[in-house]
Amino acid sequence: MPELPELNPVIHGKLRLALLSLLVGVEEAEFTWLRSKTGSTDGNLGAQLLKLEEAGYVAVEKKFVQRKPQTLYRMTEAGRQAFIEYVQSLKQMLGGAIG
Amino acid sequence: MTANAEELELKDRLSLIESMIAEGRRTTQSYGWTFVLWGVAYYVAILWAGLSHGYLAWPVTMTCAALLTAILCMGRRCSHPPTTTGRALGALWSGAGISMFIVLFSLGYSGKMGLHIFVAVICGMLGSVNASSSMILKWKLQFACALVWWATTIYACFGKGNYLMTVFLAATFLCQIAFGIYLMIREARARRQGGNHA
Repeated sequence: MPELPELNPVIHGKLRLALLSLLVGVEEAEFTWLRSKTGSTDGNLGAQLLKLEEAGYVAVEKKFVQRKPQTLYRMTEAGRQAFIEYVQSLKQMLGGAIG
Repeated sequence: MTANAEELELKDRLSLIESMIAEGRRTTQSYGWTFVLWGVAYYVAILWAGLSHGYLAWPVTMTCAALLTAILCMGRRCSHPPTTTGRALGALWSGAGISMFIVLFSLGYSGKMGLHIFVAVICGMLGSVNASSSMILKWKLQFACALVWWATTIYACFGKGNYLMTVFLAATFLCQIAFGIYLMIREARARRQGGNHA
């Protein structure tokens, strides 16, 4: 019997997985947009984004637009690769259970 | 955790990925209003030019429509993240719009503009950009619009002038106004269906 792959624990968290899934489809996204799409609180969202940043999966850019602070997040190449590997492992683990 | 519960959790993760990716993609599809805006702008320009024979009707209406589109797009960009597809489509439409403006303005200013040339250029360009956009989005309905524009171009080259404006107005209504309204309804439906998942 072939050995099943391990799922990346950094990505496996529900909110972190949702964030990476959102970021994979866009070039960059504002903190407020990510908050509205996930329905998360500022504190939880900030903490999960920090974990992804520390893992090197997202890059953060802080700037001022019309004197208002703006925090932009984008997925890094390492994050994209890890996300692809996670999805492949997930599909492999589910095997015949998905159509 | 039992094997069944674990499988359910993994399936839940997979469906979360799918729904969030769809949510991110949805931001590239909210452009139905631009079709309606430009369709109405064509009607306004035709009506203005027809009623007063004003040579300023087209340049003024098109400039106003372009400015309005730019302002509304900038507002949207503040609340929606940029996507590669969105940027590609934006570049496509902007390029086509600038080309149309340059060609039609130059033809009009040099006095070489005729109804047949005018309709052939506009419809040919709109056919081209709709076809390219439909290929990017893999959307057959938009390709059908491109076919309508190309058919109007052919009619502009070979057909009689008496019916040409009517044919152009019908194509504009079908491929700009009706198509735009359909797109807006689809976008509104998609927004209602979208919720928070995490």
